[in-house]
Amino acid sequence: MVHRVLLVVVLFLIHAGALFGADQKIEVFPATPYDRYTIYQALVFFWIGIAGLIVIIVMKLKEIKRIQNMDIDKDEKDAPFLD
Amino acid sequence: MKLDYSLVTRRTFLNSLFGGWLAALAAGSAYALLRFIFPTLGKEPDFVILNKGDFLDIPANSVKPFAWGGKLGLFFKKENGSTEALKGVCTHMECNITYRPDVRKFYCACHKGWFDENGKNIEGPPPKPLEIFDITIEGDKLIIAKKGVKVELPKA
Amino acid sequence: MSCRRLKDWVGERYDIEGLREFIRSKHVPSHRLDVWYFAGGLTLFLFIFQFITGMALALYYVPEAEHAHKSIIDIVTKLNMGWLFRSLHHWGAQLAIAVLFVHVFSTLLLKAYRKPRELLWVTGFVMLTISIFFGLSGYFLLWDERAFAAVRVATGGAGNLPLIGGFVKGFLRGDLDVTGETLTRFYAFHVAILPLVTVAVTGLHVVLVQLHGMSVPFSQQNRQRKPEPFFPNLFYKDLIVWLICLGVVVTLAALFPPQIGVKADPLAPAPEDIKPEWYFLFLFQTLKLFPGEIAGLNGETIAISIISAAIIFFFLIPFFDRRSAAQRPSPLFTWIGVFYLVYFTVMTVIGFLT
Repeated sequence: MVHRVLLVVVLFLIHAGALFGADQKIEVFPATPYDRYTIYQALVFFWIGIAGLIVIIVMKLKEIKRIQNMDIDKDEKDAPFLD
Repeated sequence: MKLDYSLVTRRTFLNSLFGGWLAALAAGSAYALLRFIFPTLGKEPDFVILNKGDFLDIPANSVKPFAWGGKLGLFFKKENGSTEALKGVCTHMECNITYRPDVRKFYCACHKGWFDENGKNIEGPPPKPLEIFDITIEGDKLIIAKKGVKVELPKA
Repeated sequence: MSCRRLKDWVGERYDIEGLREFIRSKHVPSHRLDVWYFAGGLTLFLFIFQFITGMALALYYVPEAEHAHKSIIDIVTKLNMGWLFRSLHHWGAQLAIAVLFVHVFSTLLLKAYRKPRELLWVTGFVMLTISIFFGLSGYFLLWDERAFAAVRVATGGAGNLPLIGGFVKGFLRGDLDVTGETLTRFYAFHVAILPLVTVAVTGLHVVLVQLHGMSVPFSQQNRQRKPEPFFPNLFYKDLIVWLICLGVVVTLAALFPPQIGVKADPLAPAPEDIKPEWYFLFLFQTLKLFPGEIAGLNGETIAISIISAAIIFFFLIPFFDRRSAAQRPSPLFTWIGVFYLVYFTVMTVIGFLT
């Protein structure tokens, strides 16, 4: 019996909560400062990752250009396999 | 009768027969597909039956919405107490309108269209006045019908 | 297992050497205006991005009028990183359409559509239409008040097309009005029909680019530098552009997640100040220019007819521009291109500010 009353009270509270929440904006972004901090931190790390990759690619491109300018990038057709 | 010469060779004849037959078959199948993907459209109702008590007692200068098929209908009591029922859908781009009691006009927020108390389009883009319905009362029933439609109630 | 054996296995069955030779011989012209070549590859990247994030979202979204809105709120509030993936899909779409417009207008102004590349223009135009419809259908899946009103206006506007209007409207809505039926339809368009067409048409577009090679604008034809090999030089340059774009999308998505409005209600009054997505603003503004009635005819119908004619002309530009096709400069079509670009930009900005 007590359980039933409790259940009714809990259900009522849930519905009341829904009524109050009805006009509120839906949270589309984690609300707590801690979560936000984590997100900003992750974003910074992500950009560091991208920047690092871009630096490596630029270095690679320079190397490729250097070799192309020396005109030694053409594969020799009859070169023997080394492996 | 036997023709000595023909402009149509056996090969062209067979080719056009094949092509034509294929086109006819494809057209038939496409027709069936189109019939399927084009929906059977419903129809707007000729009338709706509402409960009189829910609507007649609304305060003056206010509206109460009702469902006109899947669209919005508005039951409207004017300042002077006379009542009117109209389709709450703007004649411009089919947005739902609202009643503004402070200026006693209907307003469509989509493209800022205004209608006066009688549903006449007075400002903004709407090209036509709002559709007004007939109201009849039978017992405790409020019957809202399209203008000029004879309402035949099913015998209870 | 050594890689050598795998290579031999494939090589004995397929002509790998021919493919490698093709990649090695693919060169891209190099000149002062070659930055615009990146727009096409970037569009491709964003489309792939949209496919991936979209597939992930489709695992959770419920395409049914009662539950659609709630299921998106659940994605955003309850799932791990749900808010981020919805936001990524949203911002990816915005950027994809923006880059697509850049690609289209650069092609138009550099006259890359001229003979023999007319079919590239045609397939590209189909992709543009599909993308805009992708945007509209995706926006509607949110099933909130604004999306509902916007789709009502957009499909109603299509209904004003002369002759075929009623048919198009009924086909899009699946019902007399915008209802749950419309949601089912738009879901089918968004996740099944449009993606398949996209894959096919984009595939054709990319194959045609390989056949024709990149177009060189008239002004640069005598001032070209040595062509650059696609692999590895441009492959790596493309990669840089893609990475920066990925960073921008992720940043926008993380900092500005899109809002979710109130659930759509067919009987509620239209929300104040509805505005379509930015890539519809130029249409929206154009429609505003026309009064409701012109000489006894429906103003909307006239407006829609004029807009349709302008769009069809845009589509047929490669076939009208005879001078470009004959490899001669054609200033008239440069001005037409500039007019389209200026009109689009000005109307979008005006629509954005008002």
